[in-house]
This record gives sequence, C-alpha cells and structure tokens, in this order.
Amino acid sequence: MSAAARTVEHVTCLGCGCACDDITVVVQRGRVTEAQQACALGTAWFGDGQVPDAVRIRGRADTLERALAEAAQLLADAKGPLVYLAGDISCEVQRDAVAIADRLKGAIDSLASTAAAGVLAAQRRGRAGATLGELRQRADLVVFWGVDPGARYPRYNARYAVEPVGLAVPAGRQSRRVIAVDVGDARGPADADGRVAIPPDAELDAIGAMRAMVQGRAVPPDGPFGTAIALVQEMTKARYVAVVADAEPGPTLPPDPDRAEALIALAQALNGPTRCALSTLRGGGNRSGADAVLTWQTGFPFAVDFGRGYPTYRPHAGAAERLAAGEVDAALVIGAPATLPDSVAGRLAGVATIAIGPRASAAGWKPVVAVDTGVAGIHEGGTAFRMDDVPLPLRPAFDGADVRSAAATVRALRERLEGAA
Amino acid sequence: MTTPSRLRIAGGTVYDPANGVDGAVRDVCIEGERIVAELPAGVPRLDVRGMVVMPGGVDIHAHVAGSSVNHARRLLPEEHAADPAPAPQLADGPPARSGTGGTVPSTFATGYRYAGLGYTTAMEAAVAPLAARHAHAELDDTPIIDSGFYVLLGNDDYLLRQIAAGETARARDYAGWLLGVTRAYAIKIVNPGGVAAWKGGDGNRTRNVYGLDDAVGSSAVTPRKILETLAGAANALALPHPVHIHCNNLGQPGNFATTLESMRALAGQRAHFTHLQFHSYGGERGKGWRSAAKDVIEYVNGHAELSVDVGQVMFGSATTVTADGPVEHLLYTSSGRKWVNVDIELETGCGIVPYAYRERAAVAALQWAVGLELFLLAKDPWRVVLSTDHPNGGTFLSYPELIRLLMDRAYRDERLKAVNQKLLAGSTLLDGLAREYTLGEIAIVTRAGPARLLGLSRKGHLGPGADADVTVYAPDTDRAKMFTAPRYVIKGGTIVVEEGQLRRASAGARLAVRPDYDVAVTKDVKRFFDAYASVAFENYGAEQ
Repeated sequence: MSAAARTVEHVTCLGCGCACDDITVVVQRGRVTEAQQACALGTAWFGDGQVPDAVRIRGRADTLERALAEAAQLLADAKGPLVYLAGDISCEVQRDAVAIADRLKGAIDSLASTAAAGVLAAQRRGRAGATLGELRQRADLVVFWGVDPGARYPRYNARYAVEPVGLAVPAGRQSRRVIAVDVGDARGPADADGRVAIPPDAELDAIGAMRAMVQGRAVPPDGPFGTAIALVQEMTKARYVAVVADAEPGPTLPPDPDRAEALIALAQALNGPTRCALSTLRGGGNRSGADAVLTWQTGFPFAVDFGRGYPTYRPHAGAAERLAAGEVDAALVIGAPATLPDSVAGRLAGVATIAIGPRASAAGWKPVVAVDTGVAGIHEGGTAFRMDDVPLPLRPAFDGADVRSAAATVRALRERLEGAA
Repeated sequence: MTTPSRLRIAGGTVYDPANGVDGAVRDVCIEGERIVAELPAGVPRLDVRGMVVMPGGVDIHAHVAGSSVNHARRLLPEEHAADPAPAPQLADGPPARSGTGGTVPSTFATGYRYAGLGYTTAMEAAVAPLAARHAHAELDDTPIIDSGFYVLLGNDDYLLRQIAAGETARARDYAGWLLGVTRAYAIKIVNPGGVAAWKGGDGNRTRNVYGLDDAVGSSAVTPRKILETLAGAANALALPHPVHIHCNNLGQPGNFATTLESMRALAGQRAHFTHLQFHSYGGERGKGWRSAAKDVIEYVNGHAELSVDVGQVMFGSATTVTADGPVEHLLYTSSGRKWVNVDIELETGCGIVPYAYRERAAVAALQWAVGLELFLLAKDPWRVVLSTDHPNGGTFLSYPELIRLLMDRAYRDERLKAVNQKLLAGSTLLDGLAREYTLGEIAIVTRAGPARLLGLSRKGHLGPGADADVTVYAPDTDRAKMFTAPRYVIKGGTIVVEEGQLRRASAGARLAVRPDYDVAVTKDVKRFFDAYASVAFENYGAEQ
C-alpha cells in the first residue's frame, strides 16, 4: 500500500440522487481523508473508504468459490426466488442481476419501489420534466412542494435549481423567485421569497383548483383556495416554472399516488400558458439506475416477476409484499444491505438469503451466504444514474485491486447459474 | 446445423443490387465473418434452391435505444403486459433473455425481433449527447444487430452560440469532438432551432420556429444557418453519413414548403432528409390538409446529392417519440393522451405520446397515402429508403406489410378503398399509381441503398469482403408473409435464424466514427461546461 496520497477528481457521489460529479477524493494510506465539495451526506457516504472483506457461509469464513457454489445451489433449488437491487451498485451490476432473475424465473425488485407512487402516476399520465441542468438554465420560478431539499438532497439548490447562473437566468438566485408550499408540517425552504400554506386535507383539492385555473376555468380567488390560486397565477406568468417534490418516503409527507398524479397533471397543464417541469427528488445509491436498467431489459421499472418465463409487472406485489405473503424462499440481495427499506430488511430473517455487496457480512438478517464487495463509485467503476436519469461515469478513488469487485462477483454467480442447464 | 466456419449458400435466387445481381441463381460463399468469392467443393452447404437470397436488412432510421426510448418504455406497461416475449430456445451460446414487446420492445426483444425479420443492422436515430452512455449500454443489451446512433445537434446551445458568433470552423470542430466523445455515427438535426425555442431560450413566447429564417434567440441564428452549418460540418469532417435532418414543422399542413426550402438551402451539399412523409403535406393550418408528396419527391428525384427515408405511417398502434418537444405538446393537447416531455439541458428535448393510426381517420389516411406516393413516385430507389420512423409511424414489425403494399398493386388498391377518403383529393394515389416494386428494388430500399447512404462499405451487399449478413426468404405471393418470416438469417457468418426459428444470438458490433478535428475547441467547450453544465466536462460522453 502506497503512502503517497492519491487524488481523484470529478468523482460522482451517490450519497443522494443529486449525484454531484465534482467531488475530489483524496486517499492516503489506504483511507479516504478528504472528499472536497461533498456535503455532509456525501462525506458520510465516502466515509474513510474502509469496507470489510469477508466471505461467509452461515456465519463462518469460507472461500469465494464455495460461497458462490452455495449461493447458486440455494437459488437454483428455490421455488420462489427473489432478487433485490439494493443501493451502491453500478448499472453494470444491475444488468447482470436482472439476467440472474430472468434465468431463475424469479421475482426482482429494487429501491425504486420506494418511489412507486410517483412512477405509477407517471405511467398513467406521463410527465412534464427536465434534466436538472435545464432547470438551472431556465427556471425563473421554483416552487418547492412540501419539501426542503436541504436535509436529504443538500446540494440540489446550490448545483441545480436555485443558486447557479443559467443561460436564461444570468444572475442565478437573484434572477429566480422561490416559493415554498408548506403542506402541514412538510415545509418548503426557510429562505423562500414567498410561502403558501395548504392544510394536508385540502392539498388535492387545491392542486385541482390550480389546474382548473390554468385550463381557463374560473376559480373564485376569494374561495377556500385563494392562496393557491394566487400562486398558480404567478406560475402562469413566469417564463419557466420548476415544481420540486420529493418522490421518496419521508417523515412528514409520505408518498401519495394521488398527490403525485395531481402534481403531474398540474405541471403538464402549465405547459399551455408557460413552460413547466416537475422535478421529483430521488434518493442515492444509483436507485434511478435500477429503474432504467429494469425498464430497458424487461419493459417495467420495478416489481418484475419472471415466473411465467417472461417479465410481468406486479407493482403492488413487490419484494416487501412477497416476503410478507411468504412467497419467497430464497432471496439474493445485491448491493449494500444498509440501504434496504425496513419493509424488506425486516422480513429477510425468515428466508434463506444471499447478500453480495458492500458490508454484506454485517447484514442484520444473517445471510446464509455473505460476500463483501467494494462500493460502486468508491472502489469500483461503471455507470450510475442521477435522479433525473442522466447517466454518469463512476471514478473509484481506490484502484480496486485490494477490494473484491461486486461486478466480478455477480458476474461469476450469473455464469454459474447459466452454466447449470 | 451448427455454424461452420465455411459455408456455401447454394442455389438460391440472389438479389444483390450493389453488385448488379438481380435475381440470378448463384451460390453465396462465406468464410468466417465475411463473404468470399469462392470456396472449395466439399465445404458445408446450405441448400436454398428456390429461395430468395438478399443481404441482411439495414434500418437507417429507428428509435430503439437510449434515454428517450426508455422513457417511452416506462410509459407503456400495458403494451408490455400484452406482448410477452419469452426467451427464444437457442441451439448454443449463452442463454437467451426474455422481454416484452409492444411498440417499444425491451432491448433483447428488439434484437431478436429485428434478426427474426432478416435485419442485421439498425441505426438509432436520435440520442442526446448527455445520455450517450445510456444509449451505448442499451445497444450493448440489444443482441445480434450491428448498431450505432445519430447524435442530436440542431438545438445545442454551444453550437447555436458559435453560429451566432459566426464561428463556423469552431462549430465544425465541436461537432467533430462531440461525435467522438459520444461514440456516435452521424449528426442528427431535429426541428432546427425549434426545440431551443420550445425550451424558452431568451423568453421566446412562440415556443417553436415556423420558417427557415425565423430568429432563434440571436437574429444571426436561424434554422437555415443551423442546417448550413451542420451540413457543412458533416461534409467537411468527411463523415460516412451526411447530416440527418428532421425538418421544421413536422406534421403540419402546408409544411412541404418548409421541406423544399430546407432542401434548397443545402443545394449541392449531401444531406439526408428523414421521415419525409411527415414533411410532405399541403394545405394550410386551420384550412385542411392535402398531399404534397409529388412536389417533394420530384425535387428529390432531380437532386442526386439528396437522400431520404420515407417514414411510412402504418395503421395500428404506434408511439411517437422524438426530440421535437413542441410537436409532441401539440399532439398531447389535440389527442388528450398521456404525454412525456423532458427538456434536456443545453442540448435538446424529448417528447412522447402513444398513438394509433386508424384507417377511418382522415389525417391518418392522408399520411398513409402520402408515404406510399413518395415510394411510388421515387425515381431512384438508392436514395429513397424504407422506414416507418419506428415506432413513430408504426413498428419495424410492419415492414413486411409495407413491402406488400409496394409490391402488390391489387392489394394496395383494395386497402386504399377502405381508408377515409376525405383528404385524399389531391393524392396521386387516387390516379391509380400502377408501379409495383420488384424484389430487386425492395433489396435496394431495405439494404443496399441504406448501407450505401450510411457509407457502410461492408453492408448491404454480397460481394467478396462484405460482412456475411445474409437473409434467405421462402418466396410467397403474399409478400408480407414472405418478408415476415425469413427461413435463414446469417449474421457475421453465424446462422441466427434456421428453418424460420431464432437459434443463435451473437453480439452485435457498434458503428461509430472518430473524425479528425482541431482539438483547440475543447478548451472553449470546457469553459462553457464550467460556466453552465451540470455535469463535469471530464464526465461527459461515453468514451470510458
């Protein structure tokens, strides 16, 4: 191990869905000592770059060869195999993981199912969107709908929608007006230029009234939705409106299919009188990549079942529901166990599990087979998707030689399963 | 049979128009991945006596991979559920993959279905540079067919700035750099200036451009300047395929005037005008439509430097997917269907509306007729390529039906009677166009022609040195039936379709260019990235 510091620039961080790609990572004596530009979430995500390097079968150290053989056997014998795409793996690994599910005629799901409400709403209606950089270039009015990105998407405002200079927004923040829509306790940013309060039980009606207004139907300005109507009038006068909403489950405003659909419909309607894009915030770990890969390989973004020998879509019977119903007898979790939602992690203890990914051996549900690997973007390269589906290269700060690769491990398991006719 | 390294495809009736062979009985010899002039007696033979032998099909324009296509897939779960695609049973090689179909199939299904149709090369027609890495990943997961993509440039903010500043040389070098860094094959222009206007550049309230001399932000930037600059760049960079143009005013009545003006603007320069059918309408907005196919194709007939693909509309389901954001907004507001719009930073747009063309709908019937007129009035099949702008006018699976319409006048006339006649008054189709395409002409418009226009010297023909991409059809008077299910398809020397069944799925190759340009441009591009882009200059593209 070299004592000389190694510095890697333009590193993409997967700490949240912002996927900031301007991080400079410094490695000294085998540890990450700096992640320049990174926010607190990013700094925590890079950590010191140390990951365990265990291979375990039923808790005991073993060889990779035997672990893969055991894993392949468990999966091949399973009646209801489930593959789960957790966080911190590259699209390249996700592609191999879908191939494994296809081979097993199993079910596959991913972290994308945590944002199912928004995905399903967009499948019903479509959406009016933009890449984050386009919001930067154009948006002169930014409306945060019940969300302050500061906590979970710390650099969203600084890099994309609010602060930076854009082609049509020459003075950055000064050229934009920021409105916070506070839905009950779910509040927009504290430093907004204006605020609109909407009680949670009136939210859908308010969005409906706003849309009606945009479509030219008269809504009394002194009625119950007066402030929302004033807001939508301001929106129609802006040059380019960004509406920002959180697609991930949060403490205050749980994902709701009706809200997701209502906001989509409002954003679409606003493209009559002006331009509008809805930006839905997504979490980190390349979960948007899982959505993209599953879509191109199967036609569906999450909760796919290969049980009939081809992909079928079971958006209301994803991993959590299958586990709860006892339909899963073996689960292959690829990615960091720490990123799993409780609804999945809490139900894995009851089935035979294989964990391959960063800190797999530390999984609380005691995998039958656990293979620790590096973290995509820290120890290994590949591709990850930003929350707006922009693909970015991953630049590992470590050269990978010392840390087991998730890509190679999952590929080896795939080949083993495909070799077994 | 397994695929031998040497194979004689023996006794078939060969259509190889690039080599002047029009229905001659002869053998085609394959050694490894290439066609060879002759093989010793005694090598393995594939007896195809009585069958028709052609080079593998080449699709010059389809939307099959990348971010826009994937947005369309995500929008269509109901189509995918209705069209499952179980993994084909392959004879050897790695296990096949399952998938789903519909108008926008999953990647594996796309590759298998193209090959099953006898096509061995397909070009993805519109990729935003920002998402190039995504497009390559999807093409990597699209088996069998060789593929590449065209990179979107006609609304690119950096490019428009160079045009505004009169920096033609820098615009050319930028195009050269961008093609290389994204590993693209050709330059695509979609609604030049119109998408930039849609995105609201400089507070443009018209949200589109309508004429070749409309200003796009700066008065120095017009659709005409964009066309001239990029056509010039493609030719100066000596790209194998010239600039690939989707004109302004797609789908609008009266747009043939814009189309002709665009062609005249590039007089004397090589250029490819895509899905010409969508750009060949007479009439006026609000006052009805009529066919202007004759006006447009006659101009093409007289200008050897131009090539086109037709973008035929086929009745049935389609999905409109294009970088032309404003046109999709219009379709959304008029159809009330679901709609995706994605504005893509500094580069382009993306719009999607699922659609259906019905025989009883007047405009759809007109579009269908206009496409057929373009085919039937074309004088030089080498410059008029068969396409449906998959999946915009219909899917690639409808090509056999289209071939039947071109080859079988009686069938065509019968279909014509069944469509809505309301807007067909000026259509030459009603005059009873008698032309029937021959098998040799079909071989030109589906393989030899597009390969030549793409500059793919080893594709689209069966001469020595060509890639061993060969399709064998069992003749049938029902041409749709014949072209739907080839008996054999050989891709790069591997027999992928055998006795009508997909039996092997080799990986396809990527087609990309790496033109020479003055690298000084990258310094300026990096400055622009540092000022405006949301991704690092160093992370852009798809090189690593």
